[in-house]
Amino acid sequence: MAQNISPEHSGLSGSQGVKHNDDSVPIKDNHAVSKRLQKELMSLMMTTEKGISAFPDGENIFKWIGTIAGPVNTVYAQQKYRLSLEFPNSYPYAPPVVKFLTPCFHPNVDLQGAICLDILKDKWSALYDVRTILLSIQSLLGEPNNDSPLNAQAAMMWADQKEYKKYLDAFYEKHQDT
Amino acid sequence: MEIVWSDFSESCPILKECLDSSDLAKETEDTLEYIYEVLWIEIGSFVRSKLAPTFWSCFKHNQTLAKFEKDGGSAEALQQQYKLFTNFVNAVKSLDAYYQFVRTSLEKLDGICQRADHGKSLAKLNELLRSALLSQLPTHFNNVVYSFYSVSFRVFFNLHQSTSMGQDNEDLDESGMPCKGCNQELEKCQCQSLLQTINEVNQKLVDLELLDRLAGQSMTFLVQQRIKEHIKNTCHGIFDRSHLKNLLTWLEDVVICWLMQVFHSKVSADPDAMHTDDGSKSTDVIQSLKVKLTFYVYENYALSVIDQFFSIIIDFPDSIPAIEDLKICMEKINLRRQIINTLKSSLEARILHPGVNTMDILTGYVAAIKAIRYLDSSGVILETVTAPIKEYLRKRSDTVRCVVTSLTETESGPTDLSEELAKGDAVKDGTKGNVNDELSNWENWQPDPFGLDNTVQTRTVKTSRSADIISMVVDIYGSKELFMSEYRNLLADRLLTQLEFNPEKEIRNLELLKLRFGESLLHNCEVMLKDIADSKRINSHIHSDTKYVENKQFDISSLIISAQFWPSFNKESVELPEEIANEFQKYTKSYEEYKGNRTLNWRTVTGKVAISIELGDRVLDMTVAPTQAVIIYHFQNKNEWSLDDLSTLVKIPPSVLRRRMAFWQSHGIIIESQPGIYKLIEDELPKSQLEKLPINEIITEDEDNESAMASASDQREEELQVFWSYIVGMLTNLDSLPIERIHQMLKLFASNGLGVEFTQDDLKDFLQRKVRDHKLIYSGGVYQLAK
Repeated sequence: MAQNISPEHSGLSGSQGVKHNDDSVPIKDNHAVSKRLQKELMSLMMTTEKGISAFPDGENIFKWIGTIAGPVNTVYAQQKYRLSLEFPNSYPYAPPVVKFLTPCFHPNVDLQGAICLDILKDKWSALYDVRTILLSIQSLLGEPNNDSPLNAQAAMMWADQKEYKKYLDAFYEKHQDT
Repeated sequence: MEIVWSDFSESCPILKECLDSSDLAKETEDTLEYIYEVLWIEIGSFVRSKLAPTFWSCFKHNQTLAKFEKDGGSAEALQQQYKLFTNFVNAVKSLDAYYQFVRTSLEKLDGICQRADHGKSLAKLNELLRSALLSQLPTHFNNVVYSFYSVSFRVFFNLHQSTSMGQDNEDLDESGMPCKGCNQELEKCQCQSLLQTINEVNQKLVDLELLDRLAGQSMTFLVQQRIKEHIKNTCHGIFDRSHLKNLLTWLEDVVICWLMQVFHSKVSADPDAMHTDDGSKSTDVIQSLKVKLTFYVYENYALSVIDQFFSIIIDFPDSIPAIEDLKICMEKINLRRQIINTLKSSLEARILHPGVNTMDILTGYVAAIKAIRYLDSSGVILETVTAPIKEYLRKRSDTVRCVVTSLTETESGPTDLSEELAKGDAVKDGTKGNVNDELSNWENWQPDPFGLDNTVQTRTVKTSRSADIISMVVDIYGSKELFMSEYRNLLADRLLTQLEFNPEKEIRNLELLKLRFGESLLHNCEVMLKDIADSKRINSHIHSDTKYVENKQFDISSLIISAQFWPSFNKESVELPEEIANEFQKYTKSYEEYKGNRTLNWRTVTGKVAISIELGDRVLDMTVAPTQAVIIYHFQNKNEWSLDDLSTLVKIPPSVLRRRMAFWQSHGIIIESQPGIYKLIEDELPKSQLEKLPINEIITEDEDNESAMASASDQREEELQVFWSYIVGMLTNLDSLPIERIHQMLKLFASNGLGVEFTQDDLKDFLQRKVRDHKLIYSGGVYQLAK
């Protein structure tokens, strides 16, 4: 965990992830952070990885919109999910807040879009970046952690994939209408 | 006097009687008082009804003068002026006669009525006269007065000149010409007598205390006009001398002197104790006039210089004295706005239009920088005035090339930019030095001059103000990178097209540029020059390789360039005939042996080929471009080719191939016998027939100038291509965006790492192309990815 502690932000790590990061970013050192994010953006743009993508939403580089495609050979195939990523000013020593914008019926995603994923909480490491976060979430779709569900219904249904898929299709049908 | 007297007695008989009878003294005091009052009224009415109208009547018939005023130079107008002059003299004389008479009468009256305060009644009379005259002022009287004084000034000036110049000047005068002063034949010159008359008239006016009232305005007008004329005559178009001092001396010697004469004529004539008061008063008047006129001179001279500032800029540095003068004027008068406006418009009118070469604009720009900087070291004027030039130059596509050329070409640069570059060291410690300077020299700090647009001031960047000329020129584009990449292209072109180049010169240029722009930007160019040197070495090494030499059929000498460091080439290519390709293969092999792990990638369209063509009994030795050599090579085995066949064989698009063919057509070796069919001509054609061939000479001209480098727009394309992945990323996540947002986002997130600048228009072209390729959808003002 040593790499998680920012020289300036020791003590801030860990608990920060859960609460909303809409506090205004202090001018102090967000230059270094924005530089890092810019670099991440560049590498993300240069790699032509299929299925994941992200881009700053508007002029604030601390707020991104991500897109992941549902992994093939899972019930989520053919689906496309939008996510929001908000980076704290202590990034990358603290994880970004990642939420689903598109409604997602998944054992580890609640109906507000919050995601239960260890690397976004206590297992966060400064070595992760936007790309790996998005890849992790993409694989989470296919391999949920049913031991600590946020959506108990989904967790229960997961066992029967056929039924699950049916429900999922109905779920999206309903949400497409709204 | 008789007439006056009868006039007078006619109009006031009582007065006459009273004055005639000497027994008035016997009357009682009351009666005397009464008579005095009545007489005074009589005098008043006389002055009003007779004296003033008579005086003014002399001015009446000259309505036409105003017309002549405008073309004052013509002989007719001059005649008219002299006529008016005489009129005025007569008028003043007769006025004086009346006045004297009234005055003596008044004295007599005072004597009779035993009035003690004679001075008081005299003053009353003067006042009466003035009010009477001024109340009946005709509108055009100024014309007459003006004529009078302009003649007077001319006479004075003429006399002044002939005395100051001495006898020599008179010899120079053409005898046929009339005297400049009095418009008479030289022999009959009446200047002296005229001067006398003038002095008399002036004196009379002073006596009447009318001089200032009647003539002040006209005189000021006249003097100002003369000053303007003088400035125009002496200073116009001459910038290599300082005029200011001469002008001031002239003002002192001629104008002030003349005014003194006008005002002082009385004093000099009658140095009475009583008049010294008047004298000092007129000195005061002259003093204040002098101050005003001095400023007038400054202002007008400055304006005349400003009007001609464009020529001054062009003549710089020969025109330094004129700028010095203007500098002095500027200290006296606030002229900044004037300078800026005039200069801006004259620059715009003279150089900022399509008819002017970019090189000339650049020359003007550099000269303007030098001249204006000389004038105003704060740089504010410079900044404001040159802004439109910069903007305009930015729009010209060949600006960068021109600047780079003039920077590097020592012999042909009209802008001296290469000299500036050679001077060199100024900018090495560039911005850093300036900052230090500003801090350590804070005592000498000066605020920016006021009175200019605030917007301009806030925009000005400190460093650019004090920057030297090269930085100013480079600053047109705002980035050194752009210049350097253009220089790179230019250098690459030169290295590739002029195979026998002058390495010393290029290296010198490069070193100078390095001093100015820093090593890192010019690293590529350094590698390019090194490549050239290395190629020579490698060539000679390969040519000493026995294995290679034994096998070869012809000499190949190569230029081995490191693709990483050179600008990208255009995409042209040509397929070499097998026989020749084999030779290249051999060379490559030899190279591979020499340099392990490396190979050569041939660029077959650049370079030169020495060929000898045997046609019938002719042998032609030529040096041609590779493509042309390949074309003619194929005619060895087959006399006739269709354009399409040849095109597939050499892998050149037909349209390009047709252009290349033109070269051989122009040499009379190939003709297009039918459209699309080319045929070799074995026998030499008679000259006349050759001329008839439909050859487009211009095409062949083009050939020589063609650059091997990718054109700027091609390069741009590639740069924009980098952004494509960003755009895709953007649109994937944000669905649809208007072009403004895309442009803004690219600028924010994508450009700083890549150092590429582009405008929204560039982007629009690019996006539209993607729309045509069905990569994007454009609807409702927003772009989105195609599904």
